[in-house]
Amino acid sequence: MSDSLIPRLKQIIITTLNLEGMTPEEIDENAPLIGSGLALDSIDALELVVKLEKEFGIKISSSEESRAALASITSLASFIRERADPSKLSA
Amino acid sequence: MSKPAATRRRNPGPSWGYGFLRALDFLLPEFLYKPIRGIGTLVAMAFMPAQRRHSREYLALALNRRPSTRDVFRHFFAFEESLMTKLRVLNGRPHKTVYAPGADDARQWMETGGPAFLGTFHVGDSDLQGFLIGDELHARVHNKIHIVRERVGNSHDTEKLAEKFGGRIAFIWVNDPREMIYAMKDAALTDNAIALQCDRCEHSARTAEFDFLGAKRRFPITIYILAAIFRRPVILTFGVPQAPGLAALHSPPRFDPIPGEPRAATLARGQKHFQDFLRQLENILREKPYIWFNFLPWNSKPSA
Repeated sequence: MSDSLIPRLKQIIITTLNLEGMTPEEIDENAPLIGSGLALDSIDALELVVKLEKEFGIKISSSEESRAALASITSLASFIRERADPSKLSA
Repeated sequence: MSKPAATRRRNPGPSWGYGFLRALDFLLPEFLYKPIRGIGTLVAMAFMPAQRRHSREYLALALNRRPSTRDVFRHFFAFEESLMTKLRVLNGRPHKTVYAPGADDARQWMETGGPAFLGTFHVGDSDLQGFLIGDELHARVHNKIHIVRERVGNSHDTEKLAEKFGGRIAFIWVNDPREMIYAMKDAALTDNAIALQCDRCEHSARTAEFDFLGAKRRFPITIYILAAIFRRPVILTFGVPQAPGLAALHSPPRFDPIPGEPRAATLARGQKHFQDFLRQLENILREKPYIWFNFLPWNSKPSA
């Protein structure tokens, strides 16, 4: 389960944010998602959060949670594993 | 959501200025008070060289000629009068809104309410209209309007309007983008409307270039991206003063995202919708050039 979540998150990010020409392998799972790294802006973050909440049945409800969750893909995966319905993790 | 600290002052006036204007409005007859406001406007103009320069830049396009100092004064005075209109509503004076021809979608939405992104502009009585629409909407269908706004240091008029319309209006402050995201998301999951000002690029991550007044100008297109994310319609409005206590609400046909439509196609349609709207706004500004209240560079720098 844990092995497949990170590639799945990378694919969600690429699809949701229309990162055309980018492959999952090109995304560093330890790089910051916002600002540097993938350099997502606030609208990207909003769109991503909406998609993740729907996909995994989770709720990111404050900026503190978002800072922790969106620090990197690795931390996002940990956040989701802690809160998501297990059936949604295996989708 | 807690209120973020103000990052800058909006105008150079003293903090007691708005209260003073309101008090004089009670005390003085209009035939005395109006010339005094004119003198106050001249004093303000003298201390605002950057705003004078930006006013001239805009007026040269809107008037299609070199603006005179009198034109710049009329521009500043129109802004002062729009502020007075807000302060007079705070003082309890009635304000009536009529729908301009073509505003059928806005009128229909006002009757039923429901989720929508409302695009507003720094034009005429539009700021006050946002509060009045929220008031009417709440009275009819108990929906609320969340107004996205930058918190500034001396926004007495906004603070007092927020108090007067408390419970029917809520603010989403853009000063902290991270908090803004969650406030926006929470509001978008309700049946309430969210109002954004669509003519300034500050605090807007996405902008595009449009034809406006014979030149190119960048406008934020965030409202169409949000419409696509949350599957909500976009209703653009602006209020044009007609007489003291009376404004006409202008609004083009609404924009609706289509389920399943690719994002790029939605945004392309959104940009066409916005360009069509700008033509309508441009026609009004050619007739009433002094009601455009962006005393800023023609193309402000966008920021994330």
